[in-house]
Amino acid sequence: MKQQIPWIILIVVIVGLRIVWRVFRKRHAAADEIKQNRPLGRLKPWQRKLYTVYVFAKLNTRRYFRDKTAIFFTVAFPLIFLFVFGGIFGKNSGLSFKVAVINQSDSPFATSFTRQVNSSKLFKVSSGVNTLDQAHDKMNHDQIDAAIVLPADFGKTQDHNHYPSGQAVVYYTQNNQQAAQTLTSVMDTQFKSMNAKYVNTAAPFTVTSKQLGGQGLRQFDYTFAGLLGFSILGLGIFGPVNVFPELKKQGILRRYHTTPIRVWQYFMANLVSQALIGLMTMAIMFAVAIDVFHLNIVGNYAELALFLALSIAVIFGIGLAVGGWAKNERQAAPLANITTFPMMFLSGTFFPRYLMPEWLQHATNYLPLTPIIDGVRLIAVEGKGLLDLGPQLAVMAVWLVIIYFIAFRVFRWE
Amino acid sequence: MTDIILEVKNLQKVYDDKKVVNGISFNVKKGEIFGILGPNGAGKTTTLEMIEALRPIDGGSATIAGIDVASHPFKIRSIIGVQPQSPAFQDKTKLSELIQLFAAAYGERVNVKQFLDDVNLAEKANSFIENLSGGQKQRFSIAAALVHSPKVFFMDEPTTGLDPQARRNLWDLVEHVRSRGISVILTTHYMDEAEQLCDRVAIMDNGDIIALDTPQKLIKDLLSRGFKKKQHVEQANLEDVFIDMTGKELKG
Repeated sequence: MKQQIPWIILIVVIVGLRIVWRVFRKRHAAADEIKQNRPLGRLKPWQRKLYTVYVFAKLNTRRYFRDKTAIFFTVAFPLIFLFVFGGIFGKNSGLSFKVAVINQSDSPFATSFTRQVNSSKLFKVSSGVNTLDQAHDKMNHDQIDAAIVLPADFGKTQDHNHYPSGQAVVYYTQNNQQAAQTLTSVMDTQFKSMNAKYVNTAAPFTVTSKQLGGQGLRQFDYTFAGLLGFSILGLGIFGPVNVFPELKKQGILRRYHTTPIRVWQYFMANLVSQALIGLMTMAIMFAVAIDVFHLNIVGNYAELALFLALSIAVIFGIGLAVGGWAKNERQAAPLANITTFPMMFLSGTFFPRYLMPEWLQHATNYLPLTPIIDGVRLIAVEGKGLLDLGPQLAVMAVWLVIIYFIAFRVFRWE
Repeated sequence: MTDIILEVKNLQKVYDDKKVVNGISFNVKKGEIFGILGPNGAGKTTTLEMIEALRPIDGGSATIAGIDVASHPFKIRSIIGVQPQSPAFQDKTKLSELIQLFAAAYGERVNVKQFLDDVNLAEKANSFIENLSGGQKQRFSIAAALVHSPKVFFMDEPTTGLDPQARRNLWDLVEHVRSRGISVILTTHYMDEAEQLCDRVAIMDNGDIIALDTPQKLIKDLLSRGFKKKQHVEQANLEDVFIDMTGKELKG
């Protein structure tokens, strides 16, 4: 609950700002209108050309927010993936044991021990296991790692002592040797610190552990970078591949062609609005990943945004080339699939590339999406800067040139 | 002659060794409505597209207001307006935004409200384009094509597929465009339309212009060659009946 309060404040602030902005705009509506309708005055030719880009980009972006289907596919769709994959990979953070606790003792000590195990993050206690047989069965089905049995005399004061004592037994099967051994030593350490409370002993040799700098990567960190890559792929390729042939079919592009607008102006306007929409989508994904799946961002957000914008530019170029070339959807769809599928499976979107054979890793290094996914991970969770990303940026730059060269070459207005 | 706005000389287009436009020549005067008639496949649309700088010119030349089309396509596009065969606009966009968009395509900014006022669409400024009626869309489409005050306005088969009311409405709009001093060049295969609307017409067949004059003159010439219609013509036809019974106002 505590961590949700900043989000609530943020939402209230955003809504508040929007209301204030609307009131402000209404007051100045008349002045705005005069300003908006004034002829452009004396602009240099290149300024006029950029004005064209500005208006096209602005209206394109505005139009996107009126299109519920587009919003669903760009925002909700990646979020669904995020929740699915986050649910699979996000939970196994750190070490934990699935155990059954069989408490045969009625001592207060045993009860409190059981309660502690239940509330500990280290243990996931499987409920409803009362006998060793049941536990054995669950172990055989790999549902638990081990069973902790507290014998009847556990936590009771023995005759010759004046403090409670007892021996817990960890049962395991051959499948779970490693887990059981780790579990035994973990519990041993805990018991030792408990023992110190009852029996004062000096320990001449001790060992303590210290964490080294740099965070280890979790599975989710790889998954999240991959999901961002997937969302860029969807946004950058399937967006224009669906939109452009449709615009051609309706003759809308042909009509623009009768005006002096240049291809680069039209490309740039589309790219700007797509990058804005993309960055917004990804900001939402980051917010969810940080809040729900505890993604730990150590990198610089400005560098991350810059890198993502460049990534969108590279991938959007592919969409422009395919959608700009295709006369209709029938031409566009197969080509879009041919270009996206290799990246979808080999660039590390859904499963990390370190799992691939080495030769395949080398080969897939040069796909356009690979440096993007690697770069996102390097900046976001490994804290690298843009200057450290030389190899990634080099691959992206080469693709950028190739892709846009092709896109400009093959673009057709009708 | 200084009042010639468009000059076409020996214009040619060849597709796969087949001459689609076969070296045609004509002039259009300032403020004139010029019709290019002919059956489908006569080369009307190709001719138009070459003059509009949408298609490369294979031979001959076209100049608009003294500017050569082939060597300055972008300059040409900024002084002509083009109404495509079936005008379409991207949806989910307001009229005021579309006017901004088209003005911006020409590197201009216009007074949107005044502009929509001129075509009686001011109250629709904040409506989406898909919510307009057919007639309103027609008016808007022409307005959008004239956003940069072009010198020549091209319309490719503007009335194909329209009902008689919409057709008549469009004729009025074309007259209105001409009254602003803009030359209009249109293609059609409706003879009544050409007769009604055009100051001069060129009749094309198989890539050649086979006749070029005022409609009245062409009719007179035919009659003087001794042509007689087989049937006596009534003073009204079925279309007149239809318009009389259903009204001239545009519906829907």
